[in-house]
Amino acid sequence: MEKEKSTRKFKGLELYDRQVEKDYFLLPFRFHRLTPEKEIIVNEVGDYLILPNGTFEKIVKRQIFKDSDEELYGDLLSNFFISEEKVSPLIDVLATRYRTKKSFLDDFTSLHIFVVSLRCEHTCHYCQVSRVTQDKGKYDMSIEHINKGIDLMMRSPNSHVTMEFQGGEALLAFENIVYAVERTKELAKVFNKKVTYVICTNLAVITEEILLYCKENDILISSSLDGPAFIHNENRKRPGRNSYELAIKGIELSRSILGKSRVSALMTTTNLSLEHPKEIVDEYYRLGFKSIFLRPISPYGFAVKNERKNKYETEKFIAFYKTALHHIIDYNLKGEFFSEDYASIILKKILTPFPVGYVDLNSPAGAINNVIVFNYEGSVYATDESRMLAEMNDFSFKLGHLDTHSYEDIFYGERAAWIAEASTNENLPGCSECAFQSYCGADPVHNLSTQGDISGYRPTSSFCQKNMEIIRYLIELMESDKRIRTVFESWIQ
Amino acid sequence: MATKNFIKDGVITVFADTSLYSKDGIFKCLYWYGDKFHTSVAFADSETYRITLEPISTINISSEEAELYLLKLERDLIDFNLRDIVTKETKNIRDLLVAKAFSNGEFDEEPVGTLSDPVGFDVNEIEVA
Amino acid sequence: MLLKTKGVSINIEETLVGKVTRLPENLTSDSFLLVDDEIQAYPDKAHLGILSKQNDIYDLDNGSVVLKIPTLEHLTEGDIVSVGADGNIHTLYRVDSYHNTLLATERCNSNCLMCSQPPRDKNDVSFLYGIHKKLIPLIPKDCVELGISGGEPTLMGELFFDMLEKIKHELPDTEIHVLTNGRSFAWDHMAYRLSQVDNNRLMLGIPVYSDYYQVHDYIVQAKDAFYQTIAGLHNLARYNQRIEIRVVLHKLSIPRLVKLAKYIYKNLPFVEHVAFMGLEYVGYTPHNIDKLWIDPMDYNKELGEAVEFLANKGLHVSIYNSQLCVLPENLWQYARKSISDWKNSYMPECQSCSKLEDCGGLFTWNLKKHSEHIKPFTTNVLELSSGIE
Repeated sequence: MEKEKSTRKFKGLELYDRQVEKDYFLLPFRFHRLTPEKEIIVNEVGDYLILPNGTFEKIVKRQIFKDSDEELYGDLLSNFFISEEKVSPLIDVLATRYRTKKSFLDDFTSLHIFVVSLRCEHTCHYCQVSRVTQDKGKYDMSIEHINKGIDLMMRSPNSHVTMEFQGGEALLAFENIVYAVERTKELAKVFNKKVTYVICTNLAVITEEILLYCKENDILISSSLDGPAFIHNENRKRPGRNSYELAIKGIELSRSILGKSRVSALMTTTNLSLEHPKEIVDEYYRLGFKSIFLRPISPYGFAVKNERKNKYETEKFIAFYKTALHHIIDYNLKGEFFSEDYASIILKKILTPFPVGYVDLNSPAGAINNVIVFNYEGSVYATDESRMLAEMNDFSFKLGHLDTHSYEDIFYGERAAWIAEASTNENLPGCSECAFQSYCGADPVHNLSTQGDISGYRPTSSFCQKNMEIIRYLIELMESDKRIRTVFESWIQ
Repeated sequence: MATKNFIKDGVITVFADTSLYSKDGIFKCLYWYGDKFHTSVAFADSETYRITLEPISTINISSEEAELYLLKLERDLIDFNLRDIVTKETKNIRDLLVAKAFSNGEFDEEPVGTLSDPVGFDVNEIEVA
Repeated sequence: MLLKTKGVSINIEETLVGKVTRLPENLTSDSFLLVDDEIQAYPDKAHLGILSKQNDIYDLDNGSVVLKIPTLEHLTEGDIVSVGADGNIHTLYRVDSYHNTLLATERCNSNCLMCSQPPRDKNDVSFLYGIHKKLIPLIPKDCVELGISGGEPTLMGELFFDMLEKIKHELPDTEIHVLTNGRSFAWDHMAYRLSQVDNNRLMLGIPVYSDYYQVHDYIVQAKDAFYQTIAGLHNLARYNQRIEIRVVLHKLSIPRLVKLAKYIYKNLPFVEHVAFMGLEYVGYTPHNIDKLWIDPMDYNKELGEAVEFLANKGLHVSIYNSQLCVLPENLWQYARKSISDWKNSYMPECQSCSKLEDCGGLFTWNLKKHSEHIKPFTTNVLELSSGIE
């Protein structure tokens, strides 16, 4: 009994200290000045701490002490910024978290885009590729190429693939879509694959018959809506200037047959849109969408050719984005749920320990790893933007052709290796020590098309400029206003 | 030598002690000035780097702006030097981390410490089929 | 609630385990007959023994008997008891309770400042397991939940897994809840071995008291405990074991409680349940009360923030051992009536409370140490506003 008491005597807190001589080791993390007063440090798995200016320097110079900076010291230790041992006792936990964050890579290519037709009845001024023509033979994807594309899709290691039909206006080749879906359904059973089908359409030519087929086969509709009529019709030219009316009618019809959640809309931002952030947000809200995706136009195809009309400063886009975002937040503060998709993607990266597989903001980049494009004439491209670049006669991201190249040639060939080299922001100049690295991504296609270099040049990169500011702004917002933090949290649940 | 930073004829000149500033940090810092300036690094003497920013011909920089760029460069040099320290100090642990992340647990560390049981349970005696 | 009584034993050499019955016709070879009044006739059916309040018994022969037991009132038809050579009668299993627990061992490799059941450094494993081996097959197959606690159950070693396998075999439909500090599972083979038991009704309740190792180690009074437990949790997750995190609320855990919630979400997102538990005034706690006590009313802000953070992330969260009158109304949805019936009490003033039915009340031993803010709810709004204290 005596012995028991002596061995079980309670000891003080200091006896459980593992630190040796007030020293500590740094774990990999990155630093950025957030505002004039505050700086941020972000560790290798995306956990961050907001600190008063000058703290980063103190941490590096070993001027943080367990006794006098008790709370901060504990925060740094428990959040994997420092460790008291050369190899952190929890390095395996950190490694598991790193693996989890990168696990969007595990299954390889999921999104398979089939450009079933380049034909379109619209002549949108920013459109990159489409043609107004009746020439099906030249501008529709052949049955043979559809077959070969499906065969490659079945070879993806991913057990869950998405088959997305794009155009032109994909529905102008609806009979080919039906053919593709029917064939895929059969093969999916053989190859044990779950397939999600998506049709991207401007809805102008959609019919009840088409939608009933979609319903029967669980096909999602992804439509285009640029805002209220005066913006949408200005952006999306078509005989009769009735693109907006047809889109609205199409959305209503699609919803009535497929259900609200099966119909989404994407907006494209133009110079005209930049003047009307609130009107665009209101339009989406009015139509009952639960979210809106504020995207800048991509710098390809006709978009670049039509420079005067479409080239706008990234700064103007950022200003537009912020105004629209605040308007969206206001809806939420009034008790409505309404989110912005780009913010949600970034916030998931910042606030959750889970992977976020958004193809345009990943490292390694989504090209090939997560997406592949089968073009109407049989060429295979790394991304949707790659085929648009090809329309400007730059074939850098053409991986091969369905007639001549095997799965291995395409997915593991020289082109793929070349793209992979510039696909991780962990080793790109300007990105390698950037605090927002784990919230951002690499976009070799964007780099090449805007800067002529696959690795890009960050000081003049619009990708960098846009993402740095949006990420910084989102953090600033939620750190300065608890109500906004709550709104943001609700977007990523 | 005297290492007071200055601006002359629009050219910004900054000095940095070679024992305090890493070359890598300086270059990573100057990378971000390349859109507006011709940048160069040279030895002022064996203990001092001379760093210069000369505006490229198409960019117009007022003297007030030049002052701000000087201030920014001085601060950035410190920041990038600190970043470089972190990068170098943590290089090995980062490599280890990534290697572990893409393994299947075969490189797991041994558990920390031991399990002290007053009576003598030994965790290593548990047999696994 | 009485769980133990004692009489004078006759013809008992080793501990017997059996069900109790007051009806001689229900006797089986593994049951005891309870005798309150004078016995009519010595039972002719096979049985394990007789437990009697009487001073004497007729026709004893070689049968096992305990006499002069002060009371048998606490025993219900079908309860399971152990009867020792010393005449001690312990209630092992109560048919009317949802809170039956097997005590795996009193040994422990931690020594928590607020331990409600302080460990003892003796090797009791084979003795206790000898009893459990007899007990487990007797437990009704419709038993909803069975707890396993300690001490630290994994110190049973191989017998720990043996016991879990036996339970799975005998009670395949019973939810099994093991309280462990999780440290043993830092050794990957222990987690793997547990997964081999392959019981998806098995859940481990594992305490994490801080996101900062030194505070956790200090609270559990064991060097390396935090790092071992976190590594153990990850190994268990690797083998898809079901996990509950348990956090005891006191002066040492409150300052970093919200940070701990974030730590759990970021580093342990695979856990199924997080339970925040009020302090029990028993075991070591009274001795360490100065280090531990904070009035629950004074940690509502931290508790609320931690609970809502985790709940908003989709985790299942509970608050145990708290009283509704001390808890803000928005947290009531997380409060559970978690205290085992035999440890559960209410304050005298609670009798007039209109929320009594919904409230978990207090541990009996917390009648001596409780929030200063306990007061009955009354349905009469006027009375409330005039303030009856």
